Amino acid sequence: MSTKAINIIIVETSDIICEGINSILINSGRSFNIISADNLRDIEQLNLKAKSDIVLINPLLIQNQLKEFHILKRELEHLKWIALVYTYFDNQILSVFDEIVYINDSSNKIISSLQKLSTTDRNENKNQSQETLSERETEVLKLLVTGNPNKLIADKLNISTHTVISHRKKISQKTGIKSVSGLTIYAVVNNILSIDDYRG
Amino acid sequence: MHISNRLFIRSEMKTSDIIISNPYLILVLEHLGINMEMHEKTISQICSEYKVSTELFLVIVNLFNGFNPSVATEYSSGNILTVINYLKNSHKYYLEEKYPEIQGYIEMINRINDHKEILMIGKFFEEYFEEVVEHLDYEDEVVFPYVLQLNEKLNLKVKSETITNYSVTEYKDHHDDIEEKLTDLYNLLLKYIPQKNDQQIRRKLILSLFELDYDLKIHSRIEETVLIPLVIKMEQLAAGLK
Repeated sequence: MSTKAINIIIVETSDIICEGINSILINSGRSFNIISADNLRDIEQLNLKAKSDIVLINPLLIQNQLKEFHILKRELEHLKWIALVYTYFDNQILSVFDEIVYINDSSNKIISSLQKLSTTDRNENKNQSQETLSERETEVLKLLVTGNPNKLIADKLNISTHTVISHRKKISQKTGIKSVSGLTIYAVVNNILSIDDYRG
Repeated sequence: MHISNRLFIRSEMKTSDIIISNPYLILVLEHLGINMEMHEKTISQICSEYKVSTELFLVIVNLFNGFNPSVATEYSSGNILTVINYLKNSHKYYLEEKYPEIQGYIEMINRINDHKEILMIGKFFEEYFEEVVEHLDYEDEVVFPYVLQLNEKLNLKVKSETITNYSVTEYKDHHDDIEEKLTDLYNLLLKYIPQKNDQQIRRKLILSLFELDYDLKIHSRIEETVLIPLVIKMEQLAAGLK
């Protein structure tokens, strides 16, 4: 539930290629939301409906529309662009992309190229490697679940409110729990808060 | 077009087949007032029997299968009534069926697992459900009556009738996320709350929470992608009457 899906737009005219990529992504065990489009123009519209992370596009489809491509790239600056290459293209075209996927690449290679570009994924890998809360995070959590607002936590720990917020984000990432009442239960289970302190 | 490994449902498919491919759809049909005796009937046949627009039916079931509607639903009085009826039935399902069911599971766990955290889980669910009820009440008391009134006005082409001073944009604002706490609950139950002979009931509880979660998610998707655009259209039409 806490794993955030990567939103991908595939711009490719061949159904066989589209379905092939789709099945590689689905079988990867990562969650992806996949939308397909036939041309460059659709991207803006699709991105408005659901904010996308990555566009996987056949360079053929931008070859004669480089100007439009650059405008789009500038407008949608959060988007990463991956070229989907199965015929020869010269390096000048390929250099405008963030990453290149070749038709002969293995499934693993394709998935890792996508993951490299997705920031949400990077965060998740981090939180998988260290799930226990740091000492500081535990202090923040204890103050939070005993009813202190961010400002007061900041004062008590002598840190900025901004730092408190970033600690809270980390805590939620690590535990998978966002609400204060949920975190209160977490704190009791982990003996950070004794049940007598919990005023129900 | 959206791709997924799930079935994209079309009108010529057999109704029973689409349910076998995604059993959750049985609930959708129930919310639409369609009962289980569907014999060999196709979707178009079932729709005409129950006087539900096939297009709207397909939009709703395909939302359940993970596809976003590609075209906006046409305004008609029938479509509005179908959507409102669907939403009202799902409210009834949350309140009269899911809530007591989940509460019952938590109580059962509490009886065999004396860890104090279980009591806290019960309280947490109560809190969460209060938020859900608040949202449902708002729809039942404010949004639905407004939409039905607007629908009636458009049907009778009444000009002067004054309508509650309300606009669907307010509804959009009110439409906040009530699903977050359910994720917290999964995480607590799966990772942290100590277990004690409660494996089976806890599994039932988690699956039941998941059913609630799934239905609630689609419920808000229907509001966002079907109801709200329809009401915006109705408001424009009503403005034209003046």
